Amino acid sequence: MKKRTLSAAIAAVAITTLALAGCSSGLATTSGAERQLVIARAMDVQTLDPQRGYCDTCQIVFSALYETLLTVDPSDATKLLPRLATEWTNNEDFTSFTFTLSPDAVFSDGSPVEATDVKFSLERLLNLQGSASFLMAGLESIEAPDAGTVIVNFTAPNSAFLAIVAAPYTGVVNQEVVEAAGAASGEDAATADTSEEWFLSNSAGSGAYTLASYEAGQSIELTRNDEFWGAKPTFPSVLINEVTDSSSQLQQLQQGDVDIAMQISPDSIAQLEGNAAITTELVDSFNYVYLMLAPGAEGGEVLDDPKVREAIKYAINYDKVIDATVAGKGKTQASPIPNGFEGSEGLEEPAYDPEKAKELLAEAGVADGFTIASAYPKFAVYGVDFDVMMQSIQQDLVEVGINLELQPLEYTQWAEGLGTGGSPITTVYFAPDHTDSSQYVSYFGMLPTGAWSATASVDGAVTNKAEEEGLALALTQSGADREATYNALGQEMADDLIILPIVNPQLVLAHASDVSGVAYSPCCNLDLATLGLK
Amino acid sequence: MSRFLLKRLAIMPLLLLGVVTIAFVISRLLPANPIASIVGQRNLGNEVIVAAAEKKWGLDQPLIVQYFNYISNLFTGDLGTSFVTKSPVLSDLADRLPATLELTIMALVIGAVGGILLGVISAARKDKIPDHLSRLFALIGSSLPIFWTGLLFLFVFYAQLGIAAGPGRLTARVIAPNHVTGFYTIDALLMGNVALFWDAFVHLLLPAFIMGWGLMGTISRLVRASMLDELGADYVRTVRAKGVSEGQVLRGHVLRNSLTPVVTVLGFAFGTLLMGAVLVETIFSWNGIGSYAVEATRALDYPAINGVSLLGGAVFLIANLVTDVTYALVDPRVRLS
Repeated sequence: MKKRTLSAAIAAVAITTLALAGCSSGLATTSGAERQLVIARAMDVQTLDPQRGYCDTCQIVFSALYETLLTVDPSDATKLLPRLATEWTNNEDFTSFTFTLSPDAVFSDGSPVEATDVKFSLERLLNLQGSASFLMAGLESIEAPDAGTVIVNFTAPNSAFLAIVAAPYTGVVNQEVVEAAGAASGEDAATADTSEEWFLSNSAGSGAYTLASYEAGQSIELTRNDEFWGAKPTFPSVLINEVTDSSSQLQQLQQGDVDIAMQISPDSIAQLEGNAAITTELVDSFNYVYLMLAPGAEGGEVLDDPKVREAIKYAINYDKVIDATVAGKGKTQASPIPNGFEGSEGLEEPAYDPEKAKELLAEAGVADGFTIASAYPKFAVYGVDFDVMMQSIQQDLVEVGINLELQPLEYTQWAEGLGTGGSPITTVYFAPDHTDSSQYVSYFGMLPTGAWSATASVDGAVTNKAEEEGLALALTQSGADREATYNALGQEMADDLIILPIVNPQLVLAHASDVSGVAYSPCCNLDLATLGLK
Repeated sequence: MSRFLLKRLAIMPLLLLGVVTIAFVISRLLPANPIASIVGQRNLGNEVIVAAAEKKWGLDQPLIVQYFNYISNLFTGDLGTSFVTKSPVLSDLADRLPATLELTIMALVIGAVGGILLGVISAARKDKIPDHLSRLFALIGSSLPIFWTGLLFLFVFYAQLGIAAGPGRLTARVIAPNHVTGFYTIDALLMGNVALFWDAFVHLLLPAFIMGWGLMGTISRLVRASMLDELGADYVRTVRAKGVSEGQVLRGHVLRNSLTPVVTVLGFAFGTLLMGAVLVETIFSWNGIGSYAVEATRALDYPAINGVSLLGGAVFLIANLVTDVTYALVDPRVRLS
């Protein structure tokens, strides 16, 4: 009897398993009849509040949910196009900007986008004192004389502002809706605003999409905004899935589980060749990884002599480093202003010349070389593994007698070290916040506001007067004059020999072949509203 | 038994307080700065932004004040707000725990069933080919690093052969079941959606197998050794002398007596698997406690670190308690005190 019971149980399990195996239909998908776009990406999102967020994925999401006053021409990063604003003017010294809003622009609840919403959003961006608040530095006042006109005034010239208002972090929110959720824009917004949690499950913009759901560390889902006043996007919904590992992204793309894989490593492209269902493209980016030399850091005294810093610059075999990190899919860069930005043209690219490096070290009195520490964060960004890069540089420096002691650290640990003087040599990356070159001078220049000027000399903070005055001048200029000024500033920063750009990696665009419009956007990484089906 | 249970339950809060205190102290003593992950590297030199962030997250308070604030909030069920997710830590844990539990339970089932099966085969066919193959299979599972096995299996069975489900709890574009338990398999069945249940189930198989393979090795070795001991006992000789078949001897007598130590291992394994699922969760894009713990540690997300430590402590304490009680129920010779 027991044997029969056991046999019957086995038979029941087998039949059930076979029945279940056949049940592949009946799964509800998010798009119904229309296809949902699925993107695989290692997300770096910490908030969905457009005036607090500051990350690459934030740029993609914010530009889909919220609209900015202007936008960047996809085919020319130096050109600005109308978006919420149809017209814009500025006064002669770039201290006042007037925008005329489109009368057709509406939020996702159907209410019109008005000047007061713009004023609220930009003031909130400044006063929340969040990570992107520096974009509104120098703001004096914002006026909304009527529903369709916004006047923004600065305390000092700011010709970069037009590019700044194309950045996704300046997206405009529906004031009425977000205030009801606890948002504030006044000077006490940093403590008075209580809406951040609300933004994790809601949006209040005029963009092509609205937020459907967000699961931290898992996915962000957007659905088409039925009230959108622009061209209706092709995809009814977009799902951005957290896929941390680039090889997993590749596999999911190959299996057709995702439409776009955003961080495939360059050395994986060969695996996709010959696959008609997948399209890959290498495009230039404005992102780059750089070395920072800090003579003022403990143990960095030897770097105080510019000849030593120049020797390091010549000692690095940039082609080898680019091969080792991004399989050759990258470029060198002359100065902290990236290739393609205003001021980058015509500057001399760094060259590999170990003999010249040795000569310079001899002139500096360290012909026998020296040992120096390098603490750096264990990042792997834009295809560049910092461990691999630093080991390659270490090998190059040994050839000229410089012994680089590598200390890879977790990011928070490395950041703690920055606060206590930093490391003589470190490495970080930079991706643009907007399309104006001023951001590079403000950040990398030897200025009181510069991030690395405090340790640029053993004698303390360094101020390069030419850079300080040059930046102030550039912010009053436009056109060819401004380009010439940024070109001179680029050369100055290259001559500082504090920031050494190492690799400007190309981006791999990998997507299903029937998806069109996949392109690298200088303002928004990926513009979801322009994606379509062939 | 009741006194034993009450005693253990009474001491648990004290032990958990100790766990949380240790986690609090260690995370604060680390030479690392959580502000870096809150404001981003670009803004570390911006005093206004840094000061605003420190104030917002209470990091400008003296450590002792931060500690007492945290503990007093704990008594009201408030585990703080995560620096990274910006959500209450309690809701983060509640959202992610079912994913890890589902994976862990499946891994436990695979490890236990597979381990017992292999152990029985090994004992019954001692020193013969089935014994050697079983032990080799178990050894491989115990020896290979999980991250390597996971990546390899995904590459072979998912990417190349297409016979296994890919990363994630469901196929892309499939709508998750209505949330009741958070276990996609159970919630799908509660909805009456068999296809959805199957999709969730097949996505569980590969990561759970990877996690359970190591446990299989441990249990099979234990069962084999235990059964070989029992097979040499007097009562087995008596049962055989009575004419009972070898299969019945194994199933009806020897196996039951050999499973007692397995109970202990399973209890301990539950806690270890639950809190050690981080590698599998990362490779298989499984949004569970493991990946949450890794994100929290890397970002030095103090509230999340404390929350995960509290959860881990509770899991181990409860798992040990359940194990002790089950052991006493299974083996009448055991007395709890």
